[in-house]
Amino acid sequence: MENGKKNKSKVFKWLDERYNLSGLIDFAKKKSVPKFRETIWYYFGGVALLLFVVQVISGILLLMYYKGTEDLAFESVYFISTKVSFGWLIRSVHSWSANLMVLSVFIHMFSVYFLKGFRKPRELTWYTGIGLLAISMAFGFSGYLLPWNELAFFATKVGTDIVGEVPLVGEPILKLLRGGEDVTGATLSRFFGFHVAIFPGIFVILLTLHLLMIQRQGIAEPEDYKNLPANEKKTIPFFPNFAMRELLIWLIVINILAILAVFFPWELGTKADAFSSAPVGIKPEWYFLFMFQVFKFLPGEILFLPGEFVGIVLFGIGILLWAIVPVWDRKTSKGGKNTILTYFGIFVIIFIIVFTILGFILD
Amino acid sequence: MKNKIKYFLNSALFLIMLSNFVNGQSEDQCFKCHLELDDAESKLFKTDIHFTKGVSCAGCHGGDATSEDMEVAMSKEKGFIGVPIRKDRYQVCVNCHSDENKMKRWGSNLPTDQYENLKVSIHYQPSFNQQGPIVDCITCHSVHDIKRVKDPASKVYPTKITALCGDCHSSAEFMRRYNPALPVDQVAKYRTSTHGMLNAKGNPDAAECVSCHGSHEIQPVKDSRSLVYATNIPSVCSNCHSDAKLMAKYKIPTDQYDNYVSSVHGIALLEKGDLSSPSCNDCHGNHGAVPPGVESISKVCGTCHVLNMELFEQSPHKKAFDENDFPECESCHGNHLVKQATDEMVGTQKPAVCIDCHSADDDNKGFVVAGEMKKLIDSLKTRDSQTKVILDEAGQKGMDVSDAAFSLKDVRQVLIQSRTTIHAFNLDKFKEQIDEGFTLVNKAKITGEEAIDEFYFRRIGLGISTIVVTLLVIGLYFKLRKIEKKA
Repeated sequence: MENGKKNKSKVFKWLDERYNLSGLIDFAKKKSVPKFRETIWYYFGGVALLLFVVQVISGILLLMYYKGTEDLAFESVYFISTKVSFGWLIRSVHSWSANLMVLSVFIHMFSVYFLKGFRKPRELTWYTGIGLLAISMAFGFSGYLLPWNELAFFATKVGTDIVGEVPLVGEPILKLLRGGEDVTGATLSRFFGFHVAIFPGIFVILLTLHLLMIQRQGIAEPEDYKNLPANEKKTIPFFPNFAMRELLIWLIVINILAILAVFFPWELGTKADAFSSAPVGIKPEWYFLFMFQVFKFLPGEILFLPGEFVGIVLFGIGILLWAIVPVWDRKTSKGGKNTILTYFGIFVIIFIIVFTILGFILD
Repeated sequence: MKNKIKYFLNSALFLIMLSNFVNGQSEDQCFKCHLELDDAESKLFKTDIHFTKGVSCAGCHGGDATSEDMEVAMSKEKGFIGVPIRKDRYQVCVNCHSDENKMKRWGSNLPTDQYENLKVSIHYQPSFNQQGPIVDCITCHSVHDIKRVKDPASKVYPTKITALCGDCHSSAEFMRRYNPALPVDQVAKYRTSTHGMLNAKGNPDAAECVSCHGSHEIQPVKDSRSLVYATNIPSVCSNCHSDAKLMAKYKIPTDQYDNYVSSVHGIALLEKGDLSSPSCNDCHGNHGAVPPGVESISKVCGTCHVLNMELFEQSPHKKAFDENDFPECESCHGNHLVKQATDEMVGTQKPAVCIDCHSADDDNKGFVVAGEMKKLIDSLKTRDSQTKVILDEAGQKGMDVSDAAFSLKDVRQVLIQSRTTIHAFNLDKFKEQIDEGFTLVNKAKITGEEAIDEFYFRRIGLGISTIVVTLLVIGLYFKLRKIEKKA
């Protein structure tokens, strides 16, 4: 034991001499996180980060066997699920983790929104966060097609069709995504490229910026907490308290993930066939379902304009308003209370929940 | 133009007939004069059915049969047409034979659909030289000496019809003009058949060409309207062979048709429309129909059941059956009432057919082999279904066992092959065959069991990892509380 401590200190000294570890430890010791009743929401950013790491590791493992071509994609995923040792688990974990990650990012975003974490001086953190959410959803959309099964094929067709309705840029984007007029093997190769190279690259850049900004500016304090007298502001040390709490939640998430992956293994379905008719009940992933359902409800024509066009414009405006909330929410940034902002947030949550449920219930 | 000629001929003939009818009782000057001239046709016509019924020469040739003046009698004005041209000569017959009223007037009850039937038959197709249909009325019934069909002197009397049909159908030179692929040995074969031999003895009961192929309405054999189309043959044969009165004369049973209809072959052919299933003629022959002999039964069945025949011929049964005059396939499977062969046919207990000859009493080798074969088949079937249950269970647990399930399908093939191998009645050969099935089943079973084990391994693995992670969570929680209490 004594020897162990001695050795440890020797190693520490060696490293400290070279990398000034003591400075880092002092910094960590001083770092604290505000403690208030909503602290729980702070952990979801970390959960999303954990799940991203799970995605990277499981994704790399899948890459060892996956083949991103029309002829082999389905067969390679089938091979992974049935023949590769623990392949079934890795694929299932990758699929479940993707969904849990998008869910965590959503929760993280709404918590930041309601705790007004986006206000000055953290506007850029918000924007990078919005970017990370968009890339997470794009990860999901592109990854969904990769097993090249029937459901994914037709869901991608419908999804890209909607993109094609975007005014002016829709058609070129549609062709860019599909690699042609239709969803074909070219689309699969493209989505594979996006999924394993382009999106991870952008995601890592945005994530690095996001984390650096948080590190640089510290964690945002909610308005109520911020206005408390200095002696009433409770904090908890980042190390070890907050880190241990985060670790505790991570372990719970890992447990949930393992249970989901083992008890509800992700199905593969049947291989995509471009010449077969679309199966009944084609639905996108749940995080696109509310948008999909709204489009289904839209009439063919609204005020002499095509229904889908109006839908896309309204969604576009809504998403833009949401994304640029630091710009139009002047009141909060000046320290005031902006109830419209809260109501808008509640409305968006109810809207998403209601239409997602409708999407699941209705055919 | 054709229609005009036809219309003219019809009108002329009708007028001739009418005048003839009106003057029916008057003397036929044409016949009288031509007979005096020692004309061959007139001599023949004396015994012709038409002559006896009062149809005069003018009835077919036109002209005025009452006029003694040749110029008048054979004038165009009187409708004389001379020898009807080949192309349209059938019209002469059709004029009366397709008209029910006319036929009644001549005192005949003959049907009047002959021409309608002939029109749709293969024989009515245009001849190669475009001289009318290949076959018309005269081709078969001749002219001037036409007799009642039931008159033994008739050209179409049952004992004569074979020769009549053979005039064309036995001539390779003639037949190749119309259907070079059609054999020309039907008459020769027929003469070797039981039907043909009876027919040659002048027995009109025996089936001849018309009995099976029909007369005016003959269609190509491959036409489903043909009386001898595969699915029609059983009922055609049964026309005579189910006639108890007729068959009693020849001491032939009449249950063949009923048995055949409920046999595996009859059901396949008549209910499922499977034309590859044998009909009467496939075993008995058609033109050369005879009951297959005892020695040739396996050859006859072997035309379809090739492997079974080959195996049987190598089997110890072949010699024993030959020595005892046992009909080969028929001894176990029956003849007209061949039922779907089941695994129950083999073995040492009823309804196995093996025990008809083999018994346990004298430690009979055949009895032992039969028992062993049955045991092996039953065992493979049982293990196959047990393995299916295991694979189903693995599938229900979400495990992929599709490869094993697919390979298990081959067991069915092995069973089929083993059932065929039984015909060699060689236990070693049979074991070699059926062992392939056991190998397949064992492999699939192991895969299924491994999949189920894997399923539980996953569950246990998950359980252990969940416990470990949960313990870590609890540990961390207490550690955290400790740290936070200190603070």
